[in-house]
Amino acid sequence: MILLAARNLTRHPLRNLLAVLGIAVAAALLLDMVMLAGGMERSFQRMLLSRGYQIRIAPKGTLPFDTEATLAGAASLSARLRADPRISAAGAVLGGALFAPAGDSLLPLAGLGVEPEGQGLYELDSGTDLGPGDTTGIVIGVSVAQVTGWRTGDTVRIIVGTDPQMARASSERRLVVRGVVHWLYAARGQRTVGIALPLMRALTRAAGDRASMIMVKVVRDEEVEAVASDIRSMAPGVEVNSVSTLVARFRTRLTYFRQLSLILGTISLFVGILLVTTLLTITVSERLGEIATLRAIGVSRSGIVRRVLAEGALLTLAGNAIGLLLGLVTARYLDGILTSFPGLPAAISFFVPEPAAVARAAAALLVAGGIAGAWPAWRAARAPIAATLREEAT
Amino acid sequence: MVSLLCLLAIQESPAAPVAIEQRLARELQLRIGDTVRVRAEPGSPGLLMVVGAIYEPRSDPATVLRNEFHARFHLPDLADLLGAPDRIDRAGVSLRIGIDPDSAARRLDRLAVGFRVRPSAEIATESSRTFLVVSRFHRAIGVISIVASAIFLLCIMLLKVEERRLDAAVMRMIGIRRRTVFSALLLEACLVALIGAALGIGLASASTAVINAYYGHRFETDLRFSLLTPGIILFGAGLSLLLGVLAGGLAAARLVRTRPLVLWRRA
Repeated sequence: MILLAARNLTRHPLRNLLAVLGIAVAAALLLDMVMLAGGMERSFQRMLLSRGYQIRIAPKGTLPFDTEATLAGAASLSARLRADPRISAAGAVLGGALFAPAGDSLLPLAGLGVEPEGQGLYELDSGTDLGPGDTTGIVIGVSVAQVTGWRTGDTVRIIVGTDPQMARASSERRLVVRGVVHWLYAARGQRTVGIALPLMRALTRAAGDRASMIMVKVVRDEEVEAVASDIRSMAPGVEVNSVSTLVARFRTRLTYFRQLSLILGTISLFVGILLVTTLLTITVSERLGEIATLRAIGVSRSGIVRRVLAEGALLTLAGNAIGLLLGLVTARYLDGILTSFPGLPAAISFFVPEPAAVARAAAALLVAGGIAGAWPAWRAARAPIAATLREEAT
Repeated sequence: MVSLLCLLAIQESPAAPVAIEQRLARELQLRIGDTVRVRAEPGSPGLLMVVGAIYEPRSDPATVLRNEFHARFHLPDLADLLGAPDRIDRAGVSLRIGIDPDSAARRLDRLAVGFRVRPSAEIATESSRTFLVVSRFHRAIGVISIVASAIFLLCIMLLKVEERRLDAAVMRMIGIRRRTVFSALLLEACLVALIGAALGIGLASASTAVINAYYGHRFETDLRFSLLTPGIILFGAGLSLLLGVLAGGLAAARLVRTRPLVLWRRA
């Protein structure tokens, strides 16, 4: 059956080659859209859970680091959270602008004050980590090391705040580079440094026990929502975001891409169906005489249907195979474009090539191929034998 | 800058004015003259303010998806509320006519440390980077769609012209020149491409209207999410005509090169 279908397809190599190419491009676009639809969320979720922290506490009404707002009583809240046996780690983070001297100007740095005993923002690449309450140490990102040339063990000058009236730095501190770290949520090329939270508060003269965010790691994943709910009751003045809440908020902001992927995915499926249907309909029309002869010598209607469907399936399979490879290449290219969004964390991808996504796209196309072959197959099976043969003879 | 402020409608003595956007007024059922307590964070005493104006903010594509409420204050009132007197995020400078913004920005930048002076054009370029990325993405998707349509069109034209094998064979046998047969087939391809382009423009107009109506309603904005400009129509129609003629021409050339008897047999 398959061999016969393949032989029939080779009768018109050019048109079938074009059809396979058309299906391949449609399949590539479909795969890309399937990857785009789910990839962003999965990638975002993976990034949020990269250090196992499932809850982020931010100032009321905000998302973590979405505004410059800070929450009060942060260190005491994180200490209370650490006392909860269901919580394995909790740490407050305070963001602030720091500067490094660069010739006669200043290099702006994104500064993060962390509690090293409960931080989920970075992973150590080399050197040592900050100690709790470390007042002389700093950890730097790779991009900072590249721009400044700082290495582990170097003593560096950090400027905090500038006084426009006096045209000079308002305060300055010499710190020792403890290590080079990989910032999990930083944008590409973002120059981020980390110091201990008390030092950050002292340097930025942040009033009181304030922080931009608290990260919480719950021992058992199934208790995350219960812990989040308890924190909401304990501290009603803060915004408690579990990973699922954040993913839902992220999903709302990226509605456009999800809907675009749905529309373009549907169009590519439709184009694939249209192409296969048109081709098979014309092929069946051309071979009506041959089909009538087969029916006359005893081939059943279902046999004819199977042959036409097999041709459709072969075309779709061939297109699929090329299309899926093409889709992976174009996804890489399109991902390169979208991940250049300013400020987007480097760990986020829009097109995540996962076996499930590839399987879904391939299955959708195979079903589409079956649907596309249905009408021509029905037409072939219903062709009147005598009338068709008479018409062919004249 | 504070992204969210707590506004609670109360009946106390009037105070400093605040302007709130229409959507927020609708949400909290506030009217001009109402007194509200505005807090920078829950639990803080905040300030009593009176709704002095309700305004319709200019639609901004950069913030439409954030779905945030906005309120405007006199600078000292906001500074009081935030407990950050004499501090600002940014300041605008209007230059006299004839002054070059770039050189003025460079001069101001050298005056003191602690702030950065940038010409508005540079800020506009910087803040439109997001849209440039989206635009590049759309172009890339457009190119893929064009490749798919070109192959589809070529395939359809090939089938369409091949359907005319018998006609072409007869025409050639009764002495009609190859060129005439080719022209007839090409003309037919042009006609098909033109009808297809017209249908495509109709479909695009309808989908543009649906997209704008849907998103406009969803985000309560008058922003237009899909634009069908005369330039785009011309480009689309021109491209489909070009592809149609090219595909039809290739298929027709292939057909007229084949000997009439072979065509007859195949038909």
